Amino acid sequence: MPSRWLFRITALIAATLLAACSGGSGFQEADAPPADETGGETAAGGETAGGETGAEGGQTLQLWGAASSPAEDAALQAIVDQYSEETGNTVELVFQPEYDTTLQTAFAGGQPPDVFYVGDLRLPDLAEAGVLAPAEGMIDDPDDFYPSLVEAMSYDGTWYAPPKDFSTLALEYDVAALSEAGIEPPTTWEELAAAAEALTTEDRVGLVLGAEYPRWGAFMFQNGGAVTDEEFTEMTVNSPEVTEAFEYLQGLYEQGYAATATELDAGWPGEAFGQGKAAMTIEGNWMVGFMRDTFPDVEWAAAPLPEGPAGPGTFAFTVGYGVAANAANPDASWDLVNYLVGPEAMLEYTSQFPVMPSRQSIADDWLEANEGLDPFLEGADYAHAFQFVPGFQDAVDTLNDGIQGVAAGNREIDQVLSSTEQAGQGVLGG
Amino acid sequence: MNAVRRRLQTSEAIAGWAFVTPVLIGLVVFLIVPILMALWISFRDWNGFTPPGQSTFVGVDNYRALLLEQGVKRFDFALAIRNNLYYVLGVVPTQTAIAFLLAVVVNQKFLRGKSFFRTAYYFPSITSSIAISLIFIFLFQRTGAINFLLNPILASDNMNWLENANGVFHNLFSVFGVTTPPTFLAENSVMGLTLWQWISGPSVTMYAIMILATWTTLGTLMLVFLAGLQGIPNEVDEATMVDGATAWQRFRHVTLPMMKPTLFFVLTIGLIGTWQVFDQIFAISAGGPQKTTLTPAYLVYREGFRGSSMGTATAVAFILFIIIIVLTLIQRRVVNPDEV
Repeated sequence: MPSRWLFRITALIAATLLAACSGGSGFQEADAPPADETGGETAAGGETAGGETGAEGGQTLQLWGAASSPAEDAALQAIVDQYSEETGNTVELVFQPEYDTTLQTAFAGGQPPDVFYVGDLRLPDLAEAGVLAPAEGMIDDPDDFYPSLVEAMSYDGTWYAPPKDFSTLALEYDVAALSEAGIEPPTTWEELAAAAEALTTEDRVGLVLGAEYPRWGAFMFQNGGAVTDEEFTEMTVNSPEVTEAFEYLQGLYEQGYAATATELDAGWPGEAFGQGKAAMTIEGNWMVGFMRDTFPDVEWAAAPLPEGPAGPGTFAFTVGYGVAANAANPDASWDLVNYLVGPEAMLEYTSQFPVMPSRQSIADDWLEANEGLDPFLEGADYAHAFQFVPGFQDAVDTLNDGIQGVAAGNREIDQVLSSTEQAGQGVLGG
Repeated sequence: MNAVRRRLQTSEAIAGWAFVTPVLIGLVVFLIVPILMALWISFRDWNGFTPPGQSTFVGVDNYRALLLEQGVKRFDFALAIRNNLYYVLGVVPTQTAIAFLLAVVVNQKFLRGKSFFRTAYYFPSITSSIAISLIFIFLFQRTGAINFLLNPILASDNMNWLENANGVFHNLFSVFGVTTPPTFLAENSVMGLTLWQWISGPSVTMYAIMILATWTTLGTLMLVFLAGLQGIPNEVDEATMVDGATAWQRFRHVTLPMMKPTLFFVLTIGLIGTWQVFDQIFAISAGGPQKTTLTPAYLVYREGFRGSSMGTATAVAFILFIIIIVLTLIQRRVVNPDEV
């Protein structure tokens, strides 16, 4: 008797499953192309009919962002409200925790938001998957953006997400500590090493520096090295330039002039710097807001990153506004993006926060509102993007793990570089 | 007579189906369909953005990349298996033994403040694992409480727990002067990892996470053991007392055999839970330092959501599934819960 029951239940489950399964995949496969077609039709129709489907108001749009500080979220909300009031479109701004995961699931489920943040690191994945609508011709005055940022927001020659703002890495230093030691902010590798040594005391290290590619990479650039060539066709990480840069940094950690945040019992380098456990650190614009909120009494200043043997080099991190390829309302969506990256809205937002405007024309106005932050802005001229090709994350992880080992002194540089090279070749060459 | 019986049986069957249908639908929709869907995806190249129907069929490529092809995917998978293996070997016996001991202690009839201890031991299990992980980060800091206690004992100077990739066994070998691997360990490799790497033991960071996991699950397992202990009839115990058995004999020949099904249950859920460890890793180390806390479950997340490679992610999940099934079957053979 029990075995018959078991059989019946199994049969029932199997039958339901088959039905559900064929139904499920059938839906998707049958549904997806028409969805695309209608998307294309509205887009095409939008062009000819123009205002009819366009930004005449009355549309409801959803805008997704990654939550940052409450103040920044409120500022964006104010700008979005302003837009809603001016155009009659209703914009619902949602800040998603675990942003990348949520966005990915929304796409897979076929219900993406109309407009959403796209980080530079993530852009190639989204573009490759074909879920982003091209930005060409949708934005006023596109030549005003920093070309390097537009490039970071492009994939395979197509521009996708207009950059909303950007940050670069600079050297932050404790003003009192430097004047006590009688030194100027370092401008070269030699000076940086000397300063780190001079500033290291019993209960303070000279430099707190994260052991990860988005920090060490800047030193690779300063020595003329890089992980791949510019077209991402071959690995160039296993080179004398990179080796030399790593040896330079390893020396600083080994001698105790540099340390990671964990070694100083801090969550991240900025915290260790604020607590006075380090006299210098290398971080981005976010330091400004962090120090203002958490360590308002520490007097600090920023300087451009020291130049290496091959000149200056830093990272620029940027986030843009993407529009879904199958957005229900492409015209209204682009209208919103155009407003958000317009000079007025961008200046209003960025002048309250230390992130920098991605439009060159308002750089001076921004500097006026943010005195002393020119070292960050200066970096825009020679910054590299933290960006590779889809699937390259495995290689970046391998490199990051190796960098941790080099900083901790338990891994050999050449072994780290060759294993990163192999990991990357699997992605690029495969 | 027969007709009546048949009618009764039919109506019983209908009632039976009516009662189980809601649960059955729930199981199918939320469990079986997703599992089969994941299986289907593991044979496809899906980036996780487009609807899954638009992905391409790649055969067993995802599995081959993880198991056979030389490269970073197989290397990371092998690392994840190694890390998790040490985690399981460390956590499962420890938590089972301590939980059993605790259950025996709080099951004493004449223990004072029994319910206080029961509640106290159970407390970690009902607290959010993320919150506990954050507390442990503080405890294990260089200037944290753990080092404060250990420094005088080990004569060490603020050990770095949470960013220490050195294998515990490697550390142990170095005490005996073995710091570089013997040639045959360095030159032979399985799945891209040298034998020397395989026998590293858990990294110090992983070890800290193992302590955390043991501490949090103790309470739940203790509760299961306690239920088992209270299920043992008093008469049996009394009968052996009359026969003149000592306390140890009673424990060894009465309690332990009668607890076999409970023991099997605890070992099984322990095994499954430890092979799926994720949240503590996510909160504390994110797979680092140097990939020594990378586990298959974390690899699923990393490949699927950061690497946009859902095919690889689901393939890892299914290999993990097979590992768990096989190990549970082996364990069933060893413990043999049906034979009391």
